Amino acid sequence: MTAFQSTLGEEPDIAEELAESQRAISIAEFFEKNKHMLGFDSGARGLVTAVKEAVDNALDATEEAGIAPDIYVEIAESGNYYTLVVEDNGPGITAEQVPRVFGKLLYGSRFHKREQKRGQQGIGISAAVLYSQLTSGSPAKITSRTSGSEQAQYFELIIDTDTNEPEIQAERGTDWDRPHGTRIELEMDANMRARGQLRNYIKHTAVVNPHARIELREPGGEFKAERGTDQLPAETEEIRPHPHGVELGTLIKMLEASDSYSLSGFLQEEFTRVGATTAKNVLGAFRDREFGREIAWSPPEREACIEAVTEVVANKSADATETFAVAIANRVLERDRLCHHELRAAIAEAADAATEESGTTFGDTVQEKATTAVWKLVTESREADCYELVDEATTSRKDEAVVRALARRVAAKFDGGGSSSEDAENAGDERDRATSGTIRSYVDRAADTTVERDEAAVGETAREKIADALWEIGREVPDDPPKVSEVAADRDTAGRLLEAMGATDIIAPPTGCLSPITDDLLRAGLEKEFDADFYASATRDAAVHGGDPFIVEAGIAYGGELESEGTIELLRFANRVPLVYQRGACATTDVVKSIGWRNYGLDQPGGNGLPNGPAVLMLHVASTNVPFTSESKDAVANIPEIEHEIELAIREAARELKAYLKKQRSMAKRREKADVLANILPRMAEKLTDVTEREPLRIDESLARIMNNVLVERTVEDGRVNVVVENNSTTSESPTITEIVSAEPSDLSNGARAVEMDGEWFIEWSPTVESGSEATLEYTLNGDSEDPSFDLDVDSIETEKVTLNTQASQST
Amino acid sequence: MSSDTDIDTDTDGDPKAETDVEDREARERLIDLAAAFYDQFAAGDVPTMAIPTRTKSNIEYDEDAEVWVYGDRESTRSANSVRGARKLLKAIYTIDFLAQQLEEDRSSTLRELYYLSESWDETEAQFADQDESNQLVEDLEIVSSVTREDFHMRPEESGATLMGPLRLREQTRRGEREIHCQEDVGEGGYQIPNNPDTIDFLGCDAEFVLCVETGGMRDRLVENGFDDDYRTMIVHLKGQPARATRRITKRLRDELGLPVLVFTDGDPWSYRIYGSIAYGSIKSAHLSEYLATPEARFVGIQPSDIVEYDLPTDPLSDSDVNALENELEDPRFQTDYWREEIELQLDIGKKAEQQSLASRGLDFVTETYLPERLSAMGVL
Repeated sequence: MTAFQSTLGEEPDIAEELAESQRAISIAEFFEKNKHMLGFDSGARGLVTAVKEAVDNALDATEEAGIAPDIYVEIAESGNYYTLVVEDNGPGITAEQVPRVFGKLLYGSRFHKREQKRGQQGIGISAAVLYSQLTSGSPAKITSRTSGSEQAQYFELIIDTDTNEPEIQAERGTDWDRPHGTRIELEMDANMRARGQLRNYIKHTAVVNPHARIELREPGGEFKAERGTDQLPAETEEIRPHPHGVELGTLIKMLEASDSYSLSGFLQEEFTRVGATTAKNVLGAFRDREFGREIAWSPPEREACIEAVTEVVANKSADATETFAVAIANRVLERDRLCHHELRAAIAEAADAATEESGTTFGDTVQEKATTAVWKLVTESREADCYELVDEATTSRKDEAVVRALARRVAAKFDGGGSSSEDAENAGDERDRATSGTIRSYVDRAADTTVERDEAAVGETAREKIADALWEIGREVPDDPPKVSEVAADRDTAGRLLEAMGATDIIAPPTGCLSPITDDLLRAGLEKEFDADFYASATRDAAVHGGDPFIVEAGIAYGGELESEGTIELLRFANRVPLVYQRGACATTDVVKSIGWRNYGLDQPGGNGLPNGPAVLMLHVASTNVPFTSESKDAVANIPEIEHEIELAIREAARELKAYLKKQRSMAKRREKADVLANILPRMAEKLTDVTEREPLRIDESLARIMNNVLVERTVEDGRVNVVVENNSTTSESPTITEIVSAEPSDLSNGARAVEMDGEWFIEWSPTVESGSEATLEYTLNGDSEDPSFDLDVDSIETEKVTLNTQASQST
Repeated sequence: MSSDTDIDTDTDGDPKAETDVEDREARERLIDLAAAFYDQFAAGDVPTMAIPTRTKSNIEYDEDAEVWVYGDRESTRSANSVRGARKLLKAIYTIDFLAQQLEEDRSSTLRELYYLSESWDETEAQFADQDESNQLVEDLEIVSSVTREDFHMRPEESGATLMGPLRLREQTRRGEREIHCQEDVGEGGYQIPNNPDTIDFLGCDAEFVLCVETGGMRDRLVENGFDDDYRTMIVHLKGQPARATRRITKRLRDELGLPVLVFTDGDPWSYRIYGSIAYGSIKSAHLSEYLATPEARFVGIQPSDIVEYDLPTDPLSDSDVNALENELEDPRFQTDYWREEIELQLDIGKKAEQQSLASRGLDFVTETYLPERLSAMGVL
């Protein structure tokens, strides 16, 4: 201990020494320290992130300009480094903007916008530039051409890591085959270990951007996703922030930047869904928090009121004084309760009335005196009023004396004059003005004293009820709210404004700012990229969390060429951007795992977790502000409102899957049954023929009946052809029956017509046969045809449900 | 004694010819079954076979025959389902096999049928286990009203035996044999053949029939000379009695007018043995008239004996309690006697074996217990 003290004594300049090592950290250091947050923590991942940022930018740029995106990504080995090239056919970037867009961190057009876009912070592409520059030492090479310009502009630039400013190393005009667009070339220390993620990223991007053409060329091969639609995503409109969706810092910034003078104007101007009424409500709530309320007590006795006024009025005629006093008493007594500012207003009114009647002026001084005198009388009601409230709020079991004592103590807290020394230090506002917090503290202190002195319990609920009751009899104060500039200058006041905004009911933000993929295109995207048997998709209606509207979409592909071993493939998207990393930390994954997939026909070991099977499940969360778990934007945060919508979207799509699988299973069962029975029944018939020593049996009819099938049987007799359609199923069926016959048919039944083609006649019937009945289709063959050939085909009905019997004897 | 009774049977005609007629009849009924399936196919219908449901809830008391027979409930085997189609295919293959067996005048055991199915070319027709083939033969018995003995199907020898003052004649494969069931047999007694209808009773000095569940008790009775002392036909049941054992018991009652008494352990499973002798079993209720001896009476061990003689006991297990409770609901046990005894047993929670009587000495059963019980029942 002594040693420590002496050390301190010997080195008095330790603070200065510390200060010497304190300096602004450079952007490069910042990057180095936070690269995991930005998605550049390894060479493999850095490459994926760089591609992702560049492609996101390219898609945003093209869409904003209403151009169908055509994006080319190339990764090539060059010596010890990899070269990444990303080209788009966007509108191009003007020569002035290029250095700032690519060469300055946190520069972007979207950070302050409420609009659904892929990029939001303005970190992405410049972070990629910085990463490339730090790992390879080479500048970023950018080519950009705006529509109609003669030439493209070529830049080589680096970011000055001390100043976070772009530094142009070369700039010149150049020829480029694209009429407009942007090309960025980055050289970086990287590796292709994350090839799977890279390809998935491109493929998944193609799924959610069916309007885009994307090509990827990398040392391991190439991948091309053609356009699935020409329809560009609906243009989004920017919206102003919603009062429920801003944070304190943002609010202060908005207050500082606002041109508005009054808060009401500010609210209506800067926020969506705020009109005059809502602004008034917000301000009411704000005043309550800023100024508190004035508690209104019961009015005093009429005579006492008149007497008190008369006593304080000096130098006025007795008549005039009486007129004044009576006018006050009338106004005071017509109210059940009144608070200080109401009393003051009443007295001002009375003064005017008295002046008119008596011709005597009752000026401010007199009014002030009268107010003080009458208010004193009013505050005498405190105790009785509090007793009423306390009695109401506490249980009937409470001792009368305790209730009285508690009421007395609560009332005393308002007594600014402070009759007893105990309450003097708690001196309240003399107008009995208090915020709900102050009121609660009054009640708490009074209750604590009661607990201590009277040994009676005053529970939390009772305290809350008393405080609420007092708040309820409080009146809003007429004070003008502080001006915008004042609020902006005081963090606490701004905080109270934010609180007031949160406490006010405000309708949800508009959803025009969102651009969901929509279920049809989502399906098209899946169909384009996954070769499956079944596709389903669902787009939910917009919902809101924390002032930001969002939409959740789900799509499912099942069967076909999809991998049937192991768990299903889960594709996660936020604002049309594939989320590649941190699947386990994502709200979408949590929701998928929590669903009972067995109910939807998928295998799910243990009844929870990711289901197994040949399926792809994709989830898209679109929002003006997708809440991510970190800046690298890999996982959607667990927000209950969003999770709920994700679940509903999945269930909506999964219901379709369930119906499909159920049908598949019933068809598979039917096929299996048909297979087994097709083996057993003939053996049975054979054996029966054997045992009974009778003629061989024909069993098609029994078989069709057993399978609840539609039996189509053709017989030919004397040149007359009969096709009998017998429906053994439980529903009515409408098969399409096509007969191709080599001889000319005539006399066709059921309105069918024969069409000749190359010496063959096509006949088509579409009978509707009720369950359990049959239809007979007939035609006659030309007499002279020898040994005609037939070909009967049944369509428009599952093949499993048809028993076709054309072996029927052609006896003549 | 043997020679004069011989002549009686001969007057019935050539027994071989008699059998042929029966065989032809049995064979025709089988082929009729097959023909019914054939006709269903030919009409484009789904082949089906309806048989009575063989469960406890579908047996009812036949007042005339005084036995329990199947009720009206039927279950249908239909080619509509894969399962039903497989069953029918097996039935048809079995019909074919049985018809052929009858034609060739051969016989086989149930177990042989099971193994034989392995040789069938159609694998779908093969039996999965012997229970399945046994059950199928029972099904065919029911729908064709021909007993399996008449299909020339026999079970494995059950090894059940007779011991007592009875002379009989058995048609064996080596010709007719006359046997006295005490004098001509060893300690083990006369072994009951699979088809006891091949036996003729020639002469009998017995007063009553005592069916004994366990081998140990049978040996005790024989060693103590109970069959001699009390002129008793001792039938060894060997547990749940085979059809042949039940059939010969019934014949002893019906043809020789002997009272039938059943002596088993004192537990719920043994009451079922009594039940199947007296009332017929649920599985073969279609043959109750042929197998059941409604006059058979239960000697013991009764639950009340456990109390009265203070026999050494085991506690009832859960399955014992279940079985007793089932018996309380079994239509065959709905008499005051059984209800009282079963409720008593549930109450004391104990069961006793026959041989527990040995706790009072080896002669106790023959000198005290049985004489007392039989006197009380009015047999002695």
